[in-house]
Amino acid sequence: MTRITTLLDNLSMAIAVVDENGAISYRNRCFDEAFGSGADEWIVRNARAVAGERGWLQSFFMDEDPEHSIDIEFNGRTYHVERIPSSGDAKEIALSFEDVTRQREAEQAKSDFTSMIVHDLRGPLSGIQGTLEFVLSQETARLDSLYEELLREASRESERMMSLINELLDFSKIESGNFDVGHDPVPIAALLKRSVHSMQSVATRDAIHLISGHGIDLPLLSGSEEKITQAVINLVSNALKFTPRNGVISIGAQVLRDQDGPRSVVVTVTDSGMGIKAEELTKLFEKYKQTKNKSLRGGGGTGLGLYIVKQIVEAHGGHVSIASIGGVGTSMVIDIPVRRAA
Amino acid sequence: MATQPAQPAPGPPYDWARLVGHSLEQNGPWVTWEKLVEARRAYPDDMLLRGYAEIVRTTIVRDLLANPRGLQATPKLTPEFLSDFDRFNLTAQEGYLISLIDGRITIEMLLKLTPFDNFTTLFNLAKLQNQRAITVPS
Repeated sequence: MTRITTLLDNLSMAIAVVDENGAISYRNRCFDEAFGSGADEWIVRNARAVAGERGWLQSFFMDEDPEHSIDIEFNGRTYHVERIPSSGDAKEIALSFEDVTRQREAEQAKSDFTSMIVHDLRGPLSGIQGTLEFVLSQETARLDSLYEELLREASRESERMMSLINELLDFSKIESGNFDVGHDPVPIAALLKRSVHSMQSVATRDAIHLISGHGIDLPLLSGSEEKITQAVINLVSNALKFTPRNGVISIGAQVLRDQDGPRSVVVTVTDSGMGIKAEELTKLFEKYKQTKNKSLRGGGGTGLGLYIVKQIVEAHGGHVSIASIGGVGTSMVIDIPVRRAA
Repeated sequence: MATQPAQPAPGPPYDWARLVGHSLEQNGPWVTWEKLVEARRAYPDDMLLRGYAEIVRTTIVRDLLANPRGLQATPKLTPEFLSDFDRFNLTAQEGYLISLIDGRITIEMLLKLTPFDNFTTLFNLAKLQNQRAITVPS
């Protein structure tokens, strides 16, 4: 026993054995060095709910996931707390406390850097896009046809670059945990109308029929209008990549009801494209995953577009599914709960 | 105000991708669509089923727009409809739409004139064409 205690005391990671009331029955030397005499009161405090929030220690006893882990703050430092697996008395658990302060600071710095870079890239790119659009909106007869084609190509590429930058920016926000969608009323019918309108010029340019299939009588959702718009536009952009000329992309919306009235709104973005293989479907909403189908519009993507859609929909309490038939088409289905009186 | 989390979509009771794909090959889009309408009544909360139904509807509209004249095509009433329109069991939307068809008005103009969303109008036109109430000459 002494040998084990000596071994635990020489570990560079803090370890403690606690019960559900926060009483510490064992602590190693590193734990004392890290948390000092204030530890007992701090642990007991977090064994209870604080201001309606579950205390971090409580979460280990209430969460059945054996791999549950959490980051906590103590005296300005960040510790990553994990349960040490044991077959002993379930009334007590052994926890390890790893000081991850520098690691988290580095992650935050990386995330801040990414945000700064993409913001800085987006500024001049917006200027280039605006200039190209202005030139192209002039009398085309006055433009030499070769120049016109080059300008159109530059415009397409700047659009694509803008889309990549926006995806990176959103990804950075999601990864940093700074992704709050709020609880604003979201008029979904107007949002879908605007989304179709904003993508219409791209669809027309590629000879694709982009058609809205939703009425105006849709209930309000709750969350972020900007984020839901972005989810819909990501889905349409994705459909545009894989739909051949003269194909159709439809955007539909239906209300699902229960005994209390409208329950959720189901938005579908459906294309008559090449379809996606069954084995690829489940992985499409993961980070950096892309279908093996080749984009018909050239250029790749970050593989983050559908991952971002999933994060947005789930942040609104919703669910996203994908249906596809090879050679026939694909339908992305998002189901988001409506705003209801409490 | 509060939101209620959406119910997660239940697992598909059938392999819809295989069933719908097979039905499209064997029976074509209209029979498949009718089967999907029935299935949707039985499984209203199955989101994947909704997705497959939308794929079939979109295929039907794509076929209508595959007309070489596209949105500039001009639907015409068929002699069959003019001589025996009671035989056609039209919905209110279809009835309204067919009342606008005069042999000169294009699909694009119909989209502007009808109060329905564009996809519904196109789908109803395809349905009328399938029932041989109208033709859409190329």
